[in-house]
Amino acid sequence: MKLSFTLNGTLVRADADPDMRAVDLLRELNALDVKEGCGTGECGACSILVDGVHKLSCLLLAAQLDGRELTTAAGLGGQAAPHPIQRAFAEHGAVQCGFCTPGMTIAAAALLAQNPDPTRLDVRRALSGNLCRCTGYVKIVDAVRAAARELADAPAETPAGEADA
Amino acid sequence: MAAGTPPGLRADALAKATGAERFTLDLAPADCLFAGACRPGKALNIAHGRVRGVDASAALAVPGVVCVLTAADVPGTNLQGIVHKDQPVLCGEVIRHAGDPVALVLAESAEALRRGLAALRVDIEPLPGVFDPEEALKKGAPLVHAGREGGNLLLRAVIEKGAARAALKNAPVVVRGEFSTPMQEHAFLETQCGFAQALPDGTLDMTVSTQAPFRDRFEIGHALGLDPLKIRIRAPYLGGAFGGKDGATVQCLLGLAALKAGGRPVRMAWEREESILAGYKRHAVRLRYTLGADTDGTLLALSCRLTYDTGAYAHLGVEVMELGMEHAAGPYRIPHTFIEGRCVYTNNPIAGAFRGFGVAQVSPAFEGLMDALAAKLCLDPLELRRKNALLPGDENCSGVVLTSSVRLDECLGELAAHPLWTGRAAWCEAAPPFTFRGVGLAAVFNGMGYGRGLPDMAIAKVELTEAGDFLVYNSVTDMGQGNAAAFAILAAQELNQQPGAIRLVQPDTERCHPSGSSSAGRTTYTYGNALLRACAAMRGKLLSRAAMPLFVDDLETLTLIPGGVRHTPSGRTMPLGVLARYLPRDDRISVAEFLMPVAQNPPDTGRGFQIGFPHLFFAYGAHLARIEVDGLTGRVRVCDYVAVTDGGRVLDRSCFDQQAQGGAAQGIGYALIEDFQARGGLIQTADLSTCLIPTALDLPDIESLAVDGDEPTGPRGLKGVGEVGLNGPAPALAAALEDAVGVRLRDFPLTPERVLAALKKRKTPSRRRA
Amino acid sequence: MNVLFPRHLKQLFKALAEPGARILAGGTDLLVRLRSKPDGPDGPGTLVSLDRLAALRGVTEEGAGHEPSGGLHRILRLGAACTHAELLAHPLVRARLPMLAQALADLGSPPIRNMGTLGGNICTASPAGDTLPPLLVLGAEVELASATKTRLLPLEQFLLGPGRTALQPGEVLTAVRVPVPALHTRQHFEKVGRRDALAVAVVSLAALVRLGHGGKIAEARLAWGSVAPTVWRCPEAEAALVGRRLSLTALAEAATLVRTQVQPISDVRASADYRREVAGNLLLRLAMLE
Repeated sequence: MKLSFTLNGTLVRADADPDMRAVDLLRELNALDVKEGCGTGECGACSILVDGVHKLSCLLLAAQLDGRELTTAAGLGGQAAPHPIQRAFAEHGAVQCGFCTPGMTIAAAALLAQNPDPTRLDVRRALSGNLCRCTGYVKIVDAVRAAARELADAPAETPAGEADA
Repeated sequence: MAAGTPPGLRADALAKATGAERFTLDLAPADCLFAGACRPGKALNIAHGRVRGVDASAALAVPGVVCVLTAADVPGTNLQGIVHKDQPVLCGEVIRHAGDPVALVLAESAEALRRGLAALRVDIEPLPGVFDPEEALKKGAPLVHAGREGGNLLLRAVIEKGAARAALKNAPVVVRGEFSTPMQEHAFLETQCGFAQALPDGTLDMTVSTQAPFRDRFEIGHALGLDPLKIRIRAPYLGGAFGGKDGATVQCLLGLAALKAGGRPVRMAWEREESILAGYKRHAVRLRYTLGADTDGTLLALSCRLTYDTGAYAHLGVEVMELGMEHAAGPYRIPHTFIEGRCVYTNNPIAGAFRGFGVAQVSPAFEGLMDALAAKLCLDPLELRRKNALLPGDENCSGVVLTSSVRLDECLGELAAHPLWTGRAAWCEAAPPFTFRGVGLAAVFNGMGYGRGLPDMAIAKVELTEAGDFLVYNSVTDMGQGNAAAFAILAAQELNQQPGAIRLVQPDTERCHPSGSSSAGRTTYTYGNALLRACAAMRGKLLSRAAMPLFVDDLETLTLIPGGVRHTPSGRTMPLGVLARYLPRDDRISVAEFLMPVAQNPPDTGRGFQIGFPHLFFAYGAHLARIEVDGLTGRVRVCDYVAVTDGGRVLDRSCFDQQAQGGAAQGIGYALIEDFQARGGLIQTADLSTCLIPTALDLPDIESLAVDGDEPTGPRGLKGVGEVGLNGPAPALAAALEDAVGVRLRDFPLTPERVLAALKKRKTPSRRRA
Repeated sequence: MNVLFPRHLKQLFKALAEPGARILAGGTDLLVRLRSKPDGPDGPGTLVSLDRLAALRGVTEEGAGHEPSGGLHRILRLGAACTHAELLAHPLVRARLPMLAQALADLGSPPIRNMGTLGGNICTASPAGDTLPPLLVLGAEVELASATKTRLLPLEQFLLGPGRTALQPGEVLTAVRVPVPALHTRQHFEKVGRRDALAVAVVSLAALVRLGHGGKIAEARLAWGSVAPTVWRCPEAEAALVGRRLSLTALAEAATLVRTQVQPISDVRASADYRREVAGNLLLRLAMLE
């Protein structure tokens, strides 16, 4: 099946078998920040934004991506110019092994687009579909709240890839 | 590390936060073959069986399947194992657990692999199996390893100090208890995986998610009949491991596949279900304890029997049990101990290394009896612990004199003053409807390093590059604990350079030096110490090498500054990039080793151990849990959790807290949620929908406190704290539960079902009624 | 395997006529099943995605519907392809059907809620389906459409057993019609799982209690999840509550009745004994509704 969609702002054309999963197509397209941790929607490591909505690419068919705007962690920002969420994760000790981190930042981005001033409980709820085995989540919550404060303090700045609510 | 990374930021953090860091599978070449193991026990519901035959004809007919390998195709001994080599790479005669592999399929694509595996016809004749370690020790029990001298008993060992039996007979107060702890699944987010290629020069080049790249070579070499020094293993950052990637997982299978792949690269990645089926687990343990004390609470004697279910193969079963035994009597002064351990084979999933390594299992037992003692004597549980807490210079339960740092009492002191402890009565009284509140605490410890019998050594290499920055050749895998970042900090400090001037090479057996496994809380301590020496040597070398070009005759006047060597009196500076070009490469490299000190004059209290006994360095901790128990459902909610840790001096507070919080999180999961089940050796919790770990809604904000300490032998005075945090929650939560509902549960996990049953059985209603 | 993306209902019915056609809504159940049994009865064949079909989405409030008692009620018509997240965020669902909103909030996890659909939850017909007890107690009807006709079926007649519904070949669940409860009706939902997110219900209870004169119960509708092959009612317990206050005593008596009637199974998540005990206990929580 011929597909076309935007991936982190770039138009992509791909040819995929009907039964190919989105996570496999994305990784084939070198979006290696999209991880597979379970394949059954239980861990969130494969999280991406589809038209700004937090979804699990292991439970999407590649065919479902056609015509969509996709954002992965790399689309939020990069090392030279990190997104406030990414920088907050790094600065607040929210990263240990880092395998869950791309998916977590996607979940955080989706949250902050809808709720710019979440409580700690709001953050935990929003991230409850993303498993982390290393951190116990405490510093991840710290980081998301810090990112929220930073984003609130700079309303004119629209970070790259920030989703519309 | 990116230039300009702000100081204080963990070196790997930004690359990981932006999704730029590449883990093992991300690095696999595009033209890889795919390899997968056939583990027929699961589909056939057979945990123990004779392999009658593997019919590969249908599989070979699947388009894209390249070959099907069986035990007959394995060169070498076909036996892997870390210490005991008892685990076939491919089983030719018998499968001993439901995840045992009997065939390896190589295919051109993931889909062809899947179809090929599905098309294999394997004939397994069921054999009687044994799934309970006590049953396995009985006469006439089915043998897991037929013909093995010793039968199903892998090892019986004893630690005996003084005369415990007599002391217990005479003890004024005696408390007893039987406890059980379950298997636990590591559930690292990145499953077991790797890729490998047999190169034309005879090298086997492998990249694998492993905690022990240097040792892996020997495990692969022994199993496949290869020269270990012609095996190159690279270990990128791991997506979690916690012990489950210590010892060959994919390595031997992958090596075999590479040998048969005609020079093509091959990749193997265990899907989550396979990871749960075939990956190593924490040992389930049964514990029978007796503790005797004086009427004032002074501990006198402890006797216990520990039975570790090591599953189908030994892995590190003996070493796990050994460490558990060394900790079995708790971090307390006890003159008489008799600690008996039996490590037993069964046809259950393979038990192996898991953070807290045998100690997580004994912690709820010794702490459970301390609470029982406190209750019997009407003593405050915290005061009872302080009274008996080990102090520097004391002899621990194994008879080791603690010449290393001990700050357990200080940890307990922090809790004593903590508002969650001091305010506990009022908090419990204010329980909402249908809810019982409780507060509990626990004192825990965990040995660091390998102990005796095995050199706990690391060799660090530092290189001044032509560009004038430094490469640190990290030899110990960073599985997320941040040791690489710690090394970057140490090197920057020691060499007086900006953080951005230090780059890390992750473990690569060709470029780095053997330094043992990433385990046992040892990496920052042992490699860190080696690194400090290497950096000191580098500093001395650079100063003396700069003397000639700077025309300086007194080395004392030279100093290493960020980016250069400076002659302090005149201010003349030679940039490192310039100095580097004066030196041939082998003069720009410093290598130094460090060997962890061991207990001198070890006591003869330990019998039966080959390696491990005894340990000398321990991290200590005191934990507190505040819980709410729902009286209608038995669900336990952890409202607050405090972990106070003695890790010597704290090098990086954020990394320190990460270990405490992460360990406690796994411990809370272990105590409450992670109900790993196998019946007849068949895993019932086979994927992440039933094999549960805590989500963000299942854990509180874990508060991590550090007591001031100093371990003089450690780099910057630190000692390893990677494991101790996991040991606290099971005992602390059991204590909190007893405080809440008046019943002490001794079988873990503390499931809602067990809690509800306990609530029903209470004779007198708790004073905190719903 | 083939995937089709119909944009209109006519295209949908045509697609459903393909051999081995199955509806792919959120994929959170179907794609997991396909993964574990890729060559089994669920696939391959043709997957018919609802992604591009606007017709099955949206929430509308209708003015008239008929209760068996003869009164007039408003109806909320919930498009079957609405995601759980969409419904959870919808002001009408939150205001009129708080028990359903609670169930949606407890379901799965945020991304699962962004993908999973109400229709999917119903058609999967798991004994543990989170939306099923509230919908049952609310008196929901399912709207089933084929190329030739549309029919309505009360939910309890649609759910036949674990994984089995009355959906006929060529039919699609287009909407769920939920009567809006009357004034003075208390709505309650509680889900018990082994953890607080990404949890399959071990026991759940949906309760609709209409209070009459003097705070006495005029009507109680109770439905449990995960204690039977499909959603379970206990008419005896409901009858026992009528005329009583929402007191612990009355609820405890009803709970005893429940425990004698319910016949749950043991599985990896819980034993039958636990389910039986908790099924009764959850009624006691209703004392908080007073």
